[in-house]
Amino acid sequence: MSQPRKVYGLGAEFDSAASLMAAAEKIRDTGFAHWDVHTPFPIHGMDKAMGLGKSKLSAAVFVGGLMGLLTGVLLVTIPSFVLYPIIVHGKPYNWATAPAFFPIIFELTVLFSAFTAVGTMFAMNQLPRLNHPVFNWDRFKRFTDDGFLMVIEARDAKFSESRTKALLEEIGGKNVTLIHD
Amino acid sequence: MSHPTENSTLSAEQFDPALGKKLSSLGFGVSALGLVISAIGFMTSREQFAFSWLFGFMLVFTLCAGALFWTVLHHATDSEWGILVRRQMENVAGILPVLGLFFLPLILFCAPILWKWWDVAPGVDPLLDAKSAFLNHTFFSLRYVLYFGGLGWVAMVLSKRSVAQDADGAAKHTFAMRKAAIIGLPVFAVCLTFAAVDWLMGLDYHWFSTMWGVYIFAGAAGSSMSLLVLIVTGLRRNGYLKAVTTEHYHVMGKFMLTFVVFWAYIGYSQYMLIWYANIPEETIYFKIRNTESWHYLSTFLVLGRFFIPFPFLLFQSTKKNPKILCGVASWIIFMQIVDIYVIVLPSLHQTGFSPSVFDLASLAAVGGAAAGLYFRRLSASCTFPKRDPRLAGSVNLHN
Repeated sequence: MSQPRKVYGLGAEFDSAASLMAAAEKIRDTGFAHWDVHTPFPIHGMDKAMGLGKSKLSAAVFVGGLMGLLTGVLLVTIPSFVLYPIIVHGKPYNWATAPAFFPIIFELTVLFSAFTAVGTMFAMNQLPRLNHPVFNWDRFKRFTDDGFLMVIEARDAKFSESRTKALLEEIGGKNVTLIHD
Repeated sequence: MSHPTENSTLSAEQFDPALGKKLSSLGFGVSALGLVISAIGFMTSREQFAFSWLFGFMLVFTLCAGALFWTVLHHATDSEWGILVRRQMENVAGILPVLGLFFLPLILFCAPILWKWWDVAPGVDPLLDAKSAFLNHTFFSLRYVLYFGGLGWVAMVLSKRSVAQDADGAAKHTFAMRKAAIIGLPVFAVCLTFAAVDWLMGLDYHWFSTMWGVYIFAGAAGSSMSLLVLIVTGLRRNGYLKAVTTEHYHVMGKFMLTFVVFWAYIGYSQYMLIWYANIPEETIYFKIRNTESWHYLSTFLVLGRFFIPFPFLLFQSTKKNPKILCGVASWIIFMQIVDIYVIVLPSLHQTGFSPSVFDLASLAAVGGAAAGLYFRRLSASCTFPKRDPRLAGSVNLHN
């Protein structure tokens, strides 16, 4: 316990959603890259205030869906057209039979998209994990109740214990605390 | 959220009455031309006229009914995003009561041509006898009155209240419209479903499909949202509705995507069930439309109504681009024309695709009159509900 612990970052509390939003805009404009805000509820426009841009998740889901589509097409066409071309119900085994295949192709597209969405979301959020350094900050639990919090990570190139602390206080941050790993 | 009166960027605006009158006259002019040609058709080839007129009428009817659906949905779900563009939906839906008149020639002079059950005597066809409680002249005519009464009433209440709110800005109108919309939702659903059953499914009274009402609804809602995109863009280009942003286009694009997919889902489900079960009474619909030259049109419908617009609407960047979205919207409306055509005309020309000048004439007659009425309504009130208490929320829309 006596060993000096690594600094994870700086945490600051704000009075309201509006003041947190204003603070986020300033931090964004200062050029910080590794930071986040924690609030009891989603705040509309916060993504813009933080400069997050469009999530890359949709691109991954698109590729996942495309893979599902391809899997579906191959899964139904290879057995029906190549391996076991059998006439069922008087329906021919050429492209005109496609309606019978659509449910499988459709379901696989949806299934693969969903798996990719959940999997990519976990990967992007670095989940699952058992603990996170922010929990070492005693006031952090307030974000589930009435706390509007901001945490700037020490790994950010612009981070400096004293100057970032001063910056956070200047933009309205209260109880600015050093968080250790 | 700021109060709308504090919003200095947004001032009440009215469509130029002179231009509105000009466009309105143009619409009525086109309609008159279409009416004259249709009248010739009525005299010379009654059969072709009947089917052409039904085609033209149903196309405009689905577009207007779709607009009513979006208005009703907007109020019933208490939406905020579309307040800015809501007035235009109301204007299109407001055509409905007058549109009912365009159905009269069919019911008065062409009923036995279109709906073959009309002249079949009792006892001749046991299938018809079983349905005679529903398919008889009195009830059919009564239903026609109920459809336009019901849809027209909902459209008029919502439109009148909305315009009344322009004058006093009272919140009670918002609550009244919500109430009317909640009653209006089932009214709309029942009227559109049974209108589709009566007028289109009834073209072959042996045939039935439980998905028919939903199928017509899917086409109506999707093409109507496309029409809204075109109207809003047209107004913006002329200097109105400047408060509409890419965010609004994004929402409208999302609804277009929804209904492109929904149309395909319903259309496919209907086809698949009939195709798989292979019961002659049911397959006859697709047998006519998937053979001879109708086959090309049916294939084109599947490709054009779903596979072509789908990839365009899938991406956020294209939905936020008014130019691309307008292109897709025009295409969807064109495909709605094809859809109604492939539903109506094969009942007459069972041996193959046979275009007629009266198809275009009916389209001009009904469509032109609807456009004329629309422009008249457009310049009669502010282009958006200027004193809706939640207008600011719609102006500052963020997805």
